[in-house]
Amino acid sequence: MSKIPKDQIKEQKLKIKRRSDDKFAYRTVIISCVLSIIFFVNSLFFNVLVEIGIFSVFSNSNILFGILDVLIKVSTILLFFLFMMISVGNYKELTGKPIGWKELLLLIVLSLGQALLNLWVFAFTFIGLFVIIIYLYLVQEL
Amino acid sequence: MRKTAFFAFIWIILLNITIVSSFCIINSSGAAVEIDPEFGKAPIIDGTIDDSTGEWKEAYKDEIALNDLPIDIWVMQTNRELFISIQLELETEYHNITEFIGILISANASESVEDFVDARFIQFYNISSNNFTYYDYYINNSLFLNDAEEVGQGAGKLDGDVSIYEFSIPIGQYYTNGDNETAILDYENSYAFNITYGDRPLYPEGILKSEIIIININPPVKNEIILTELIFIIFSIIIFAIIGILFGFYIYNIIKLKEKIERLRS
Repeated sequence: MSKIPKDQIKEQKLKIKRRSDDKFAYRTVIISCVLSIIFFVNSLFFNVLVEIGIFSVFSNSNILFGILDVLIKVSTILLFFLFMMISVGNYKELTGKPIGWKELLLLIVLSLGQALLNLWVFAFTFIGLFVIIIYLYLVQEL
Repeated sequence: MRKTAFFAFIWIILLNITIVSSFCIINSSGAAVEIDPEFGKAPIIDGTIDDSTGEWKEAYKDEIALNDLPIDIWVMQTNRELFISIQLELETEYHNITEFIGILISANASESVEDFVDARFIQFYNISSNNFTYYDYYINNSLFLNDAEEVGQGAGKLDGDVSIYEFSIPIGQYYTNGDNETAILDYENSYAFNITYGDRPLYPEGILKSEIIIININPPVKNEIILTELIFIIFSIIIFAIIGILFGFYIYNIIKLKEKIERLRS
């Protein structure tokens, strides 16, 4: 017969689970943050340095290259937003509070701000952010 | 049921033929293309397209055919000049040693032969050594005569299989040598340009293929637009800097959080 009460074992198991959850969440915070930094640097290259003409990527362009150019620029911003939101969400979870509208709004403004130099990139980024937020909202509700 | 499917099939075919043939009619009449040039940074007229500096990046780009000869045409303008680049891709052995590209400029949007009053040619004398000369002629009763004053610039270069021709034509500028020698391009007007290709330095006898395009010259841009662009660039840089600072702050918080978690665990 075990001398440790059943409640204590349960509590210990819960503690271990919480610790492993925290570890997992912390790892997610770091990995997502690193990924968002990578996409941020890419966004800086494509949305500023290429846009103002310091570097050229598709100079020998036709309409297909134009579409590809916009697609790359929009993707870098949206991926920055997505990974940053995952990172901040997990960070907030670890501190005991859920991510609020204030943080979300700041992320949206900073993401849209990256697309200021190209109207097409701005428009598609706006649509992309809207779709991501709606998707996450619906997933959360379900 | 079968009969209905058969009639539906016939209707689809007829509809397709109607749509396709209507496009054919549009393409076969008048100028090959009407171009609204984009404003951009003036390129260096040297027959080379420098990708590293984004030369011709803002240009309107299209592909047209001089009869059966496909060419790439790039058009761009600044407040003072119109820039046209023509690129002709042929296997090296098919480039004629004395190949040329010419631009005949109409006094207006008319495509009648008698309205073409000005001609600019980039004539190669030995294309393999990039030996070329830029000519500015005026056209009088189908005779090509030298201008007293050469206007504009032109340069050509054979780069691999592609021969690149670059022209610059002044806009809104008048000349003392007599306006009848040079087509004056005015803002907010349309002009017909006859793009010609030939294989020997004889004009017009050497011209083998040609196609007419219409270019609408845009009014000059005011400095306000440049100022707005500058403001947007500054805003963009500020936002990227803010994100960079916030990243630093966020990483600092992540490290602090790790310490906090470890403290709670112990």
